[in-house]
This record gives sequence, structure tokens and C-alpha cells, in this order.
Amino acid sequence: MRRSKALPAVALFSSAALVLSACGGGGGGGDTEISNDVAAMAVAKGENESDASYTAPKVEDMGEVVVSTDKPYTTYNNATADGNNSYNTFALTLVQTGAYRLNGNEKVILNKDVMESVEVTSENPQVVTWKIKPGLKWSDGDSWDCDEFYMAWLAQSGKAKKADGSSFFQAAATNGHEQMDAKCEDATTFVGTFASPYPDYNGLFMNDVLPAHIGAQKAGVDDIKKITPSSTAELEKLADFWNTGWNGFDAAIMPGSGPYKITGYEQNQSVTLERNPEWAGNPGGPSKITLKAIPDPVAQAQALENGEVSVSFFAQPDANAADRLKGLEGQGVTFAASPGLSFEHFDLNFKNPVLADDAVRKAFFQCVNRQDIVDKLISNVQADAKPLGSLLFFPKDEGYTDVYSDKSTGSADEAKKTLEGAGYTQGADGIFEKGGQKVTFRISHTDIPRRKQTVELVQGHCKAAGIDIQDDTDPNFLDERVSNGDYDVALFAWSGGPWKSEKKSIYSTTGGQNWQGVSVPAADEALQSAVTQATQEKATPFYQTADKALADEYASLPLFQAPKMWSFKGVDRVYNQGYVGALWNANEWQTTS
Amino acid sequence: MIRYIIRRLLISLPILLLGSFLSYVLVASAGNPLAEMRARPGVTEQQVQELAAELGLDKPVIARYWDWLTSFVQGDWGTSVALGQARAEVFPSVTEALWVTGRLVVGAELLALVLGVSVGVLAAVRQYSIFDYLATSTAFLMFSMPIFCVAVIIKSYGIEFNNVLQSMGVDRWLTTAGPPTEGFTGSIGDVIFKYTGTFLLPTLSLMLISFAAYSRFERASMLEIMHSDFVRTARAKGISNGRVVFRHAFRNALIPVATLFSLNFGAVLSGAIITERVFGWFGMGSLLVDSVRTFDPNMLMGWLAVTATLVVLFNLVADIVYGFLDPRIRLG
Amino acid sequence: MANVNLSSSTTASPAEVGGKGSSTHEFDSTTARTQGQLVRRRFLRHRLAMVSSAVFVLLCVFAFVGPLLWTFDYEDVSSRSYLPPSGEHPLGTTQVGKDTLALLMRGTGFSLQIAIVVAIVATFVGVLFGALAGYLRGFVDTALMRLVDLLLIVPQIAVAAIVVKGLSGSWYVVALVLATFGWMQIARITRGETLSLAQREFVEAARAAGATTPRIIFKHLVPNMIGSITVNATLAVATAVLAEAALSFLGLGVQLPDTSLGVIVNENYGQITTRPWLFWGPFVVIVLISLAVNFIGDGLRDAFDPRQTKVRA
Repeated sequence: MRRSKALPAVALFSSAALVLSACGGGGGGGDTEISNDVAAMAVAKGENESDASYTAPKVEDMGEVVVSTDKPYTTYNNATADGNNSYNTFALTLVQTGAYRLNGNEKVILNKDVMESVEVTSENPQVVTWKIKPGLKWSDGDSWDCDEFYMAWLAQSGKAKKADGSSFFQAAATNGHEQMDAKCEDATTFVGTFASPYPDYNGLFMNDVLPAHIGAQKAGVDDIKKITPSSTAELEKLADFWNTGWNGFDAAIMPGSGPYKITGYEQNQSVTLERNPEWAGNPGGPSKITLKAIPDPVAQAQALENGEVSVSFFAQPDANAADRLKGLEGQGVTFAASPGLSFEHFDLNFKNPVLADDAVRKAFFQCVNRQDIVDKLISNVQADAKPLGSLLFFPKDEGYTDVYSDKSTGSADEAKKTLEGAGYTQGADGIFEKGGQKVTFRISHTDIPRRKQTVELVQGHCKAAGIDIQDDTDPNFLDERVSNGDYDVALFAWSGGPWKSEKKSIYSTTGGQNWQGVSVPAADEALQSAVTQATQEKATPFYQTADKALADEYASLPLFQAPKMWSFKGVDRVYNQGYVGALWNANEWQTTS
Repeated sequence: MIRYIIRRLLISLPILLLGSFLSYVLVASAGNPLAEMRARPGVTEQQVQELAAELGLDKPVIARYWDWLTSFVQGDWGTSVALGQARAEVFPSVTEALWVTGRLVVGAELLALVLGVSVGVLAAVRQYSIFDYLATSTAFLMFSMPIFCVAVIIKSYGIEFNNVLQSMGVDRWLTTAGPPTEGFTGSIGDVIFKYTGTFLLPTLSLMLISFAAYSRFERASMLEIMHSDFVRTARAKGISNGRVVFRHAFRNALIPVATLFSLNFGAVLSGAIITERVFGWFGMGSLLVDSVRTFDPNMLMGWLAVTATLVVLFNLVADIVYGFLDPRIRLG
Repeated sequence: MANVNLSSSTTASPAEVGGKGSSTHEFDSTTARTQGQLVRRRFLRHRLAMVSSAVFVLLCVFAFVGPLLWTFDYEDVSSRSYLPPSGEHPLGTTQVGKDTLALLMRGTGFSLQIAIVVAIVATFVGVLFGALAGYLRGFVDTALMRLVDLLLIVPQIAVAAIVVKGLSGSWYVVALVLATFGWMQIARITRGETLSLAQREFVEAARAAGATTPRIIFKHLVPNMIGSITVNATLAVATAVLAEAALSFLGLGVQLPDTSLGVIVNENYGQITTRPWLFWGPFVVIVLISLAVNFIGDGLRDAFDPRQTKVRA
């Protein structure tokens, strides 16, 4: 805890020192603003906070920069089910531009470099109009316009079905595209009409806007818009290409629409980005960005320490690497960590006879000491980490209220009282029982060390409350077992973010991913209302109601957000964004002295 | 000779088939590579099933093995089935990894061999000298060392050494995270600087262990031969000491080392894998660990195919080297 | 792995092994000594081997008796995380707040357990297969030696990876994988010795008297090879400790809740500069075990076969 204060203080001090030396006339060429205050770096320089929009700022050339992360980039088409992973997004965020950007605080920001506007033009039915700037081009010279949006919709909406009912395109997710009918009003105006109101429309076309001219060419048509969900023959060809054609590397079919384009790729090793000459906005600072994959976190930290990379960012926390990097502050290395977009949680299975009893669930919530878990597993990496207080919101979200801290107090005594009050008695072995049924259950999880450690800690916490917990480590737990509800308590992570419609399938009674069998009528009703609001602001109160109702049922206990971490030296304004990694604002990077 | 080689290859064939079958079945039935997909919010069971069908994961394991085998013999190594791997082609993935590991191993092993044999011979010739004690106890110590700890220590001190260099105003020399992506470019001086900087630390870690084995081995067999009858006879005939050592003893003492060198393949491979891991290189080691971790039998098969080929090759080479070093052995 | 039987003794001083005075008095006593007594005496005189034996015994005490005496249980997670060494926690605590010393004892225990199981299984299988091959010859010999060739070249690391992920990461599974790859050397040596022993009169006599193959192997052949078997069994322990640590370091060995020295190093090697005690603790124990066992092996070799020492060292 103490460290959290120390870090900004040191940072402030050093930035003050820099300002002072600049005033003293030392060092030339320094009219770029330099700030080491990491929290402030979550907001990009080119961001206009008043209307939540972004335009790339003018920056100086900073030369080449080498960046590392944990895993390699694998495909140019990150929207496929088998290709989709964060590490692709980390590189593609600079290559494939889109209607919106996310800043470090997960605020959705309109990308004014390529968009005129995105507006809800009708409420009933909900119609959204995306107006694209005219004259935008891919790095191969072809235009970036409504066609691109159209193909993204066609591929991801799941509306293009084969005769047997399966989809032509193996898309990772439909994300709302399925609720929309699409039309290009003119070359730069895309109009989507929603069957029912959809509050998360600003998550569409943010990434995975792929080159439609390449798709059209592979499908053998001159205009992609001629392919509709019912033109089977062309769809066959397009889908064949879309599903696998963009895997691997071939510069000719992988142009850039953002400030950078891909110029080099070594499988499992690295991907190289260089400035896109056709980019309409201000050119980026780095002339070349090499994104290396270094599979071992400690090795990654050492590479930064040894000056081989200037920026390294990690999607998963690693205490060893974090410790190492923190120790390098004296050498001008900045280390930072912030809550990531996935959160660990316990799902209590209502089909289990022991856990079906409200008192047992309540007692379990009470005995788990979440603060201890966070202190031991997370605060080594992220000093100001706190237990998460909501299943639907993150603390940075508008509308977050902590509805779990009064329920999960980490007090064995309270848990005991709860059980005693419900008629349980402590047996000779110290474990509570009622009617011959002992309060004992398993916590099941995959073989990730942190989960194993979590269970170890909880076993200790709840033993004191007379609750017996067994550890069930199963590398294959997320396969059939979790979806069949074959567990007592499941420990795994959901990812969250600004868009919450997808939560409905997890927490409503009939939801496809409601494997624990939770059923709270109040939450069902609130979730149904939330996902049919026209905007996120209107949806928020409904989500809050659902969140509260779920908490009162003692169904799932959120533990913490897994932090992401990053570290850099000699580069200004690096922030590891939860969705898109550290390169989201790399076009703004500058060298620091 | 050629008949001998063909016979050897034919003997290995059923073994390789059995091995590939067992590995495939074990890994493929250990888990579902698409399991993590269910933990993505909003993903429907139908999507998971459709992708499984597309990747051929819906078939029984035996059928999947048969599919793999039939395409493999036709030269198609298949694609990865792991989630997030975007059906990466197996063949280029494996060859890329082999290239990374190979560059590391070949240099380290050759150095270890040359150094190990010379130290072993010298120690044997100067038995009980200070050099002998130093060499043998170093070898003994290295032999009892866990290689991964040695690599961890070497790397840590390498970085310290760089810091010292930098404080003296010299460029940082040693690198730790694999070869530079742009390759070795620049003037000849630059290339040498970069090349040595890249390979020194991992090569050193790998070399030390193999060196210990080779020098111990060479010293022992050298001593045995120097005490053997034919060497004693040669000495008695009045042949000079140097000639006895190099013409008679050395050549024969190389035979067991040659055996070790070729049979050591497994040990060298695991050494390389560990070194790679410590230095964060993505080579054969990471490929193996990842393919097993993600239940990706196709990638694993590619890995096994490459290693098996190398193993068979190494055995052949060992046999041929015997014949060359020891005229009593005839291949046929 | 392959070189253990040819390795020379690096430890015996020239005076001890080369000096005539020391080696002659074994035979000048008027009362005849049994082979066992001679071996014991020679081993006891091997100073490094004796020191190593003491170290090894201490390590065993540390691993198996230590946890009973030590205040912290390895499962106790109540301490704060990453405490520096202190009187209370001589090696500090780990990330989840376990006492590192308690964990180290448990890890040492698992590592020794694995190594000893590997040595026993590998020796048994190696001696059995080697003796069978050498005694029966013909098809059995060819088949077994092909198996040896196969296992010598199959990368153990791949098999371990597959088995540990596919079946289970318990300590005995890892031990069995290691044993599967540890018996070939012993089998080769045993086969060689059997080939020559089988020609001797006493074996001929036993066979003529109608002794069964198992009886000949275990009553007549094995007792005559006890020297090389013991030496190689000892050295197999050292090899197994290192191999297990390497596998676990890669995450392909023992899986939690079981642990081992390799697992502890794997969890903590990143701390080598920040919290060195977390790395050097398990490192020193691994090196101690492997050095001690290698020295004991050398001592045993010298004791069983003084001739070899004189020629080699």
C-alpha cells in the first residue's frame, strides 16, 4: 500500500527535475511536453475531452523503437474465431483504423482522423449513421470507405448462412452486428438499422475493419456491396478467403489504413510496422516499430533492463517481472500497472445441494478474505489494487457501485454466526453440518498458478469458519465441465469492458452461458431492459439494478481485476490499454532524454 | 553402406509410427483446444461446435490421427488447431523454431566438443598436474550443476557486465532476448559485435554443461588407452611421445566421445530448450511446451517429425564416424 | 547420462590411489576378509565420499525430519508476502506468504523421493533387462537392445511434456517418466557383464543342476555384479535430481500441489537479483545433493574396484 504513494511522488519529483533542467537551458529540441505521471498517460495527447474525440497530433520523428509483449501476433484478420486473440489487436491497432478508439481509461473516443460523425438518427427503430471522412485510403492506394464497414458487417453479423444453417464466416463474435441491417447510403455513409434498440453501437467498427477491395477481388466481384447474405456463390468464395486467407503474412493483401502498416513478420518472433504513407492524419512519431514476442515475463523484463527493448507490456501480471522492473527506477525505467479488463470470480453452483442453501453461500462470501487475496497475489504488481465490487461494472466505469464489500468481509466469525443462525452445528472435526450434510465443496479451476494460489488462500480463510474446501485443479476445466455445470464452485475469469450487453447471457435465467443456474427474476427483468436501451447512459441504471439483485442472491463473488503491466525507458507517454495494448497511442510517442 | 542406411531407416519406421500414434492420442485426448472459447462472453455453444467441425476436432481421436497421417505422408503437415493461432501452418512454424534453436545448439556443441576434447586430452597427458586437478574438478562441478540455474546466473551477470561496459562509455554488447529482428547488418565490425553479443551468453550456458561431459569422457578414455597394451608397445618401440599421444591414443580415444556426441542428442535438446526458456527465445522448446499446453497435436507431430528425423540422422552419422575412426568396425 | 560409467575419479588423491603402501596392506593381513569387509573399509577411507555421505544424510534429515520440528507448515499462508529473511523466517516468505524454509524442506523431500524411486526402478529394470538380454541372447537380446536404442534417442522432454499434461503431474508420474529414461545405461552394463559371467563354470553348473532362469539371474549373476550395480544406482540418483529439476523448471515436471526443488526455482528465479535468497536456497540444495551423490558414487567405485581407480585416476 505504501508503494502506491511513493510511485507518483517519485515520478512527480523526476518530472519536476526535468522541467527545472529545461528551464536552465539544458538540452535542445525539447518543446515536446514530457510527463512521467503515468495515470495522466491514459488520456492520449490528441484527445479532445470535451467531445470525446481524437485527432492524431503533430509529433516529431523519434526513430525506431523496439517493443515487446508476451506472445506473438498471428493473423491480420483478428475477427475469426480461431485467430482472435489480444496479441493480434496489440499490433493491428495501429494498422487497421476504425470508427472509435479506446483510451487508457476505457473511454470510447470518436476517431476524428477518419470519421465525420456517428449519430443515432432515429430512435424507433434505432437507426445509426456512420459518416466517414471522404478521400481516405489504404496504404495500397485503394479507398477506405463504406465498403469496409459493409464487409465487416457481412462477415460478423452471422446473417450469411449456409443451407445447413451454419455460418459462412467463422467469426469470433457477433457483437451486435446480428441485430442490425446494413446499407451504404453513399460511398462514405453507412446506415445501420437495429431490430431492437442496441446501446453498445459504438463498439461496432472499432477494430477488424478489413480491406473490402481485397475481399471483393478474392470473391471475384467488382463491388463488395453486391454480395448480400443471400448471394451464396460469392459468399462461399469470400468466406473461404476471409476465414483463413489473411493468416500468415503477405504484404500485398495486408495493407494499412491506420498510421502504420505491416512491413515484416517472423512467425512466433516479431512483427514490424512502418509509417503508412497514405495515412490522412498526422504521421506517427516512431519511424518503425518492432513488436517482439518474448514468452517469458522475466526474460522480457531483463530485455528492457538490458536496453534491447524500450517498451515492454504484459497482458498478464507477473510478480517476478514486476519486482525486477520496479527495482530499475533508478536507471530511468518507469514501471506501471493498472487493472485489466478481465476479472476473476467464484461462481457458486445452485445445483449443488450444499450451496443451494442461502446460508452456506452467504457464509462462504463472508469467510473469503478478498483483501488478503489481493494483497498477496496482486499488490506486488499493482500496489493500489482493491477487491472488485461488481459483476457488471469496473471501478473506472460510469455507474460503478461496490455491492460486495459488505457481503464478503473476510470474517470467519461472521461466517460462523451465519451458519449457526441457520441451524448448522460444528462437528468434531470443526466442520459445520446440518442434517448429516457437511459444509464441504470443491473449487474447480484450470492449472493457472495464480488460481491455485487463490484456492490455497481461501482454504485457509474458510477453514477458520468451519467450511471445508477442496482444491480441484483440472487443466481441461473450461471444456465440457464448466458448460455442463459440473462443479461446486468455479474459479475463472470473464472479460468485461464498456459494452455490457453480452453480460445478459451469463446472468439471466435462460442465458446461454449461465452454467451455474442462477435465477433472479429482478435481475432478468433489469438485464432485458438494459440491453434494449438506445444508449449506454440509459442502460446504466438497469445494469445497476441487476448487479444489486445478483449480489443479494450470493450467486457469484467477484475477486479482482487481473492487472496488466508495462514498463518503458526513454519513451514518453506509454500506457497499456486493456483491449488494445500499449501501441494504441504509439503514433504519439516521443523520445525522452 | 547404402543398404545399411536403408535398413536402419526401415527399422526406425515402425517405432516412429508407434511413437507418433501414442503422442497424438495422448495429447489429443488430454483436452479440447477450443475450451477457452467458452469463457468469452457472448459466445454460443453453436459457434464452438461450428469451429470444432471446421478444424476437424469433432471426430474421434483415432480418426483425427488417421487424417493427420494420411496428409502427412502426402507432404501436408497440417495447421495448428490451437485457439488464437489462426491455423498457423505447422511446417514453417517448426522450421522457424528449428532455425532459432539450431543456430544456438550447433555453435555451442562444436565449441564444447573442441574445448572438452582438448582439455580432456591435456588433463590425461598431464595427469595429476595442477591443470588436471583444475580441469577435472571444474568438470565435476559443472556436471553436478542444474543447467537452468547456470543459465539464470550467467544471464544475470551478463546484464551487470553490460552496465559496467556502459558506465565505461562503451556500447552495450550482450543481448539477451534473441537475435535482432533485422538480422545482422552493418559493417563487418558491427556484425561481429552484434553476433557475439547475441550468442555469447546462451552459448556459454549451453556449452558449459556439454563441455563437462566431453572433457570428463575424453580424459577417461584417453587414460584407458594410454595404459593399454598397444600404446605401451608403441612406446617400447621408441616412438616419440607426441606421436604416441596423437597418432595412437588420441584417435582411439575419440571413439567414445563420438558416441556420446551423437547419443547426447536428447540431453543437448533439453539443454537448448532450457537455455531458450531462460533467454526468452522462441525456439523448439517453446514450440513443444506451447503445443502440449494448448492441446495442439498437429503442431506437436510436426515437432516430433523434425526431432525424429534429426535423431535418426545423428545415429547414422555416429555409425559412420565410428567406421572412420575405428577401422575394425565395418558397416554392412 | 550416458557417461557415468566411464567417468573417472577426480577425487582420490594420488597418495591414496597410486601409493603402493596404501593399497598393499589390504592383502597383508593374516586373517582373510570377506569381499564386503574389504569394500566397506575402502569406502570408509575415501574421505570425500564419507563427507558426502554425511551431507546426504543431513539433507535427508532436513527433508524428512525437518518439517516435523520446524514451526511453520508448508501449507501455512498466514504470513505476509515476500518477507525478507529474519529470525522467524530464515529464508523469508514466498509471494503467498509461505515460509520459504518449510517449502524448501518439502521440495527437497519430493526431489529426493523422486530421485530414489527413479534410481530403484531404473536399477531394477536395467539389471533385469540387461541380465535377460545377456543371458538369454538371441531374439530377447535383440529386442531389448532395440528398445534401449529407441529410448536413448527419444527426447525425454517431449515424453514428459505429453505424459504430465495428458495424465497427471504427481511426483510419482514424473518419477516413472524419469525411470523410463534412466535404465538403459544400467541395462547395457549389466548385459556386458552378464555376457562374460554366463560363460563361467558356476553358471554352467547351476544350469546343469536345473536352476530356472530367474534363479540363475538373481542368485548367481546379480550378486556377482553388485559392485557396478550399486555404483550406477547411486549415480542414477544424481542424474534424476538434475533431470527432475530441469523438467519442473520448464513446467513439464511435478505440478502443484506436489512440489520439488525445480518447481521452487521455477517460481523464484526471477528474484535472483531482487530477493536472492529465494533463488540461491533451492539452487544450493540441488547442487549439494548432486555433488554429494556423485562423490559417494565415486567412493563406491573406488571401493568396489580398486584396480579401475589405479588405472584411471
